[in-house]
Amino acid sequence: MYRYDEFDHAFVTSRVEQFRDQVTRRLAGELAEDAFKPLRLMNGVYLQLHAYMLRVAIPYGTLNARQLRMLADIARKYDRGYGHFTTRQNIQYNWPKLSDTPDILAELATVEMHALQTSGNCIRNVTADHFAGAAADEVADPRPYAEILRQWSSVHPEFSYLPRKFKIAVTGAERDRAAIQVHDIGLHLKKNDQGELGFAVYVGGGQGRTPLIAKKIRDFLPEEDLLSYVTAIVRVYNLFGRRDNKYKARIKILVHETGVEEITRQVEEEFSHLQGTELKLPDADIQAIAAYFAPPALPDRPEGWAQLAGWKKEDEAFGRWVSQNVQPHKHPDYGMVTISLKPIGGIPGDASDVQMDVIADLAEEYGFDEIRISHEQNVILPHVALADLEPLYRALIAQNLATANAGLITDIIACPGLDYCALANARSIPVAQEISTRFGSPERQAEIGELKIKISGCINACGHHHVGHIGLLGVEKKGAELYQITLGGSGDEHTSIGEIIGRGFEPNKVTDAIETIVDTYLNLRLSKEEIFLEAYRRVGPQPFKDALYGDAKAEAA
Amino acid sequence: MTDKVLTANRLSDGIAVWLDANGYWVESLQDAIVARHAEAVASLEAIGKRDFAENKVVDVAVVDVQEVDGKLWPIRLRERIRAQGPTMEYAAGYRPADPAFIAV
Amino acid sequence: MTRVWRETGFVENDPWVIETEELKAGENDKVLLPLDQLIERAENSNDVGLGVLIKPADDIRKLEPYLYRLEIVAVEFPAFNDGRAFSHASLLRDRLAYKNELRAVGDVLIDQIPLMLRCGVDSFAVKNATALKRLEEGRLPGIAVHYQPTARQADKAGGYSWRRRSA
Repeated sequence: MYRYDEFDHAFVTSRVEQFRDQVTRRLAGELAEDAFKPLRLMNGVYLQLHAYMLRVAIPYGTLNARQLRMLADIARKYDRGYGHFTTRQNIQYNWPKLSDTPDILAELATVEMHALQTSGNCIRNVTADHFAGAAADEVADPRPYAEILRQWSSVHPEFSYLPRKFKIAVTGAERDRAAIQVHDIGLHLKKNDQGELGFAVYVGGGQGRTPLIAKKIRDFLPEEDLLSYVTAIVRVYNLFGRRDNKYKARIKILVHETGVEEITRQVEEEFSHLQGTELKLPDADIQAIAAYFAPPALPDRPEGWAQLAGWKKEDEAFGRWVSQNVQPHKHPDYGMVTISLKPIGGIPGDASDVQMDVIADLAEEYGFDEIRISHEQNVILPHVALADLEPLYRALIAQNLATANAGLITDIIACPGLDYCALANARSIPVAQEISTRFGSPERQAEIGELKIKISGCINACGHHHVGHIGLLGVEKKGAELYQITLGGSGDEHTSIGEIIGRGFEPNKVTDAIETIVDTYLNLRLSKEEIFLEAYRRVGPQPFKDALYGDAKAEAA
Repeated sequence: MTDKVLTANRLSDGIAVWLDANGYWVESLQDAIVARHAEAVASLEAIGKRDFAENKVVDVAVVDVQEVDGKLWPIRLRERIRAQGPTMEYAAGYRPADPAFIAV
Repeated sequence: MTRVWRETGFVENDPWVIETEELKAGENDKVLLPLDQLIERAENSNDVGLGVLIKPADDIRKLEPYLYRLEIVAVEFPAFNDGRAFSHASLLRDRLAYKNELRAVGDVLIDQIPLMLRCGVDSFAVKNATALKRLEEGRLPGIAVHYQPTARQADKAGGYSWRRRSA
C-alpha cells in the first residue's frame, strides 16, 4: 500500500498545524462559527445531535495493522471505545471534543492518516473496490489511480469551494464492487484492444433526494489523461453547478438539467485545452505509484486445500462461514476474507477498540498486514491462505467477528440515523437490529441467499438505500417514524434505483413487512439459484405489492 | 403556548446542553429552565444569541416540551434522543436511552 | 474599512472602486466596471488602463479581446464559499495568459487568501478585521507544499509531476 514520503509528511504536518490554528482561533472567539464551519468540515469535523463527529479518511478503504491500532487507540483515548465504518470506506468517531481534534489529527499523521476533506463542498475520499489487488476477476488494480486522485485533490485551491460535495469511485473489474454509477465521477479501469490501460468515465450519478444513475461520457480515456480530464469535469461543475439550492447543487443535477450531450461537449472542450499540459501523467509516475500496490509475495500453500476440506467436514458452522465470507483470490491457495461487522442483533459497521486491535493482530499474522474497509461496512482481509482460515476463524469467533453473513439478509447496511445524526428524520440502527434478530438463523439466511438490505434515516441516503435490493428510507410523519420500502435497487455494474412499492410502515410493522417480502420471493423464485434481485427483475413489484398491501385493497373494494 | 426550553451544543466539546435557571448550560434536560409565555421565550432566545456570539455554544434552538409525570418531555423524538443519547447499547459503560421516555 | 493588500504589503491610495447605490466614484477614483459595461466601453472607445469586475456567473472568456486594455481584473467572492472566482482567476492566468493585476473582492477572509494566491490572484480588497490583523503580522495560514499545479507557477517538488512547492 502507499507509504508517505517526506513531501506527504510535510503536507500533513502543516495541515494539522493549520487546523490547530483555526481551532485555537475559534475557541478564542477570533473566528466566527459561519467562517469556521467550512474549515472544520474540510478537516472532517461535523456537529451532530449529541456531540461532534470526526470522520477519518481511509483512502480507498485500505489500511494496515499499525493504522488500525491507531484507530483503536483514538477510540479509547478520545472517544467512547468504538468507531463506525461508513458506506464510503471511512471511519467515524461520535464523541470527540473539538478541542482534542488537532491532537487526534496529529496522532493520525504519525501513522500516515488524516481527516482531510471527508466533509465539506470539496472532493471527498476516492473509494475503490474493496477486493482490489486480490480479486480473481480483476483486470487491473484501481488503487494507484485512486491514490493519484487523492493526492491531486488534496487542498486543491480551485476546487475547495465547490457547489456541493464531490465523490469519485474507481473499479478495476467488470463486476462493479465500488458502485461507480452512483458517484459524481465513476471510473472503470480497463484495457483497450491494444492492451493499454484507461478508463470508461461516468458522470452525474448519485443518491439522496434525487437518485440518478451516472452517464458514460467517455468510453476510453487513456490513463495519462486522468488528471486533465477530471480537472475538466470538476472545473465545469465549479463554474456551472447550481448554488441557489442546496438540494439541486450536485453535478448530477447539472448533467440532468444541461443534458449529457452538452455537458460532454463542455467537458471535452475544456479537456482539449488541458490535455498534454503539466497535468499529463508520465508513465514513470504511474508506475512508481503502482509499485506501492504490488501484491505481497504470496508463498504457495497447497496444503490448505486438504486442510480446509477436513475442517469443513468437522465443523458445519466453519463450513458455512467459509462458503459465505471467503471469496476466490487470484492465487488459488488464498481467499479474500470478509470479517462481518454485522453480528446478529448488533449495530451495523461498529467495531470496538478491542475488536480493532484483534483484527490488526490477525492481519499481521494471517493477512500480510493488509486490511480493507468495504462500502458495505465490513472489514476485509484480502490475502489469507486457505491453510490459515481455521485458526483465523477461531480468533474471530472469540471477538464476535465471525458472523457468516456476507451478502446475506443480516449483512445490513445502515447509516447512523436519528440515534446520532442531526440530519436524520428516523432511526436506522434499531430497525437493522430487529431485522437481523428476526432473520438470525443461519439456516434461514442460507435458504434466502443473497439479499442486500440498506437503511437510511433520511433522504440524504447515506445508507445507500436507493441501491439496496430492499431499501428502507426512514421519514417522519406526524412526529413519529415511518419507513418507506423500495425494491430492486443495485449498485453493481447493472445499477438500478429501487422502486417505492407503497405506503410506509410503522417501526413495529417493518420487520413483518420484510418477512412478507422474503416469503413472497421464496414462493415465486424459479430455484434457489435465482437470488432476490434477479427474481424481482423478472417479476417486477406487483407480487410484492399484492402481498404487502393486497388485503387493504380487497378491504377497500 | 407550549412550554419551551433552550438547547444548544457546547462549543468546546459539542455536548448537548440546556440552559438552566442560573444561566448555565447544563448537560441534563431535566435541569433546564422552562419558558411558559412569550416574553420568557424571547428572553431565552436573547440569551441564546448572546452565548452564541460569545462562543460558548453553537446550534442554539428553542424546543417544545411537556411536563409528563413531573419530567420534562420534549415533543419531538429528535429532542428526546438528544436528551438521553442513542437508543441502544452502543458502548461499554454507557447506558442507552430509556425506551419509555423515547417512545412516541 | 477596506484595505488593499499584496504580497509586497498594503497598498495606499488605491484608486479602484466598485460603484453601488450608496457609493459613487470620486474625482481621483477609477471604476471597476461590470463586464457588459466594460465591453461596451472598450468597443466604443480607445480607452486603456480599464478595470473590470467579474461576478461569479460571468463568462470570463468574453474578456479575451480586451485583456491588453485592462489594468486590473477584480473577481468577486460574494460569499467566501462561492468558489467560482477561483476558476475565473485560474482561467484568466492559465488560458487567457492575463498578466496584470488580479484582485479578489467581496468576502475575502484570511483562510482563503492562500488558495486565492495559488489561483493567480495577486491583490486583495480586505475588510475583515481578523484578516487585516493577520496580514499586518504577515501570518498567512497556507501550506507550502502542494499536490497540484496551479495558475500561479511554483517549483516542481516531491518527485511526482503533479507536486509543487512554494518558496
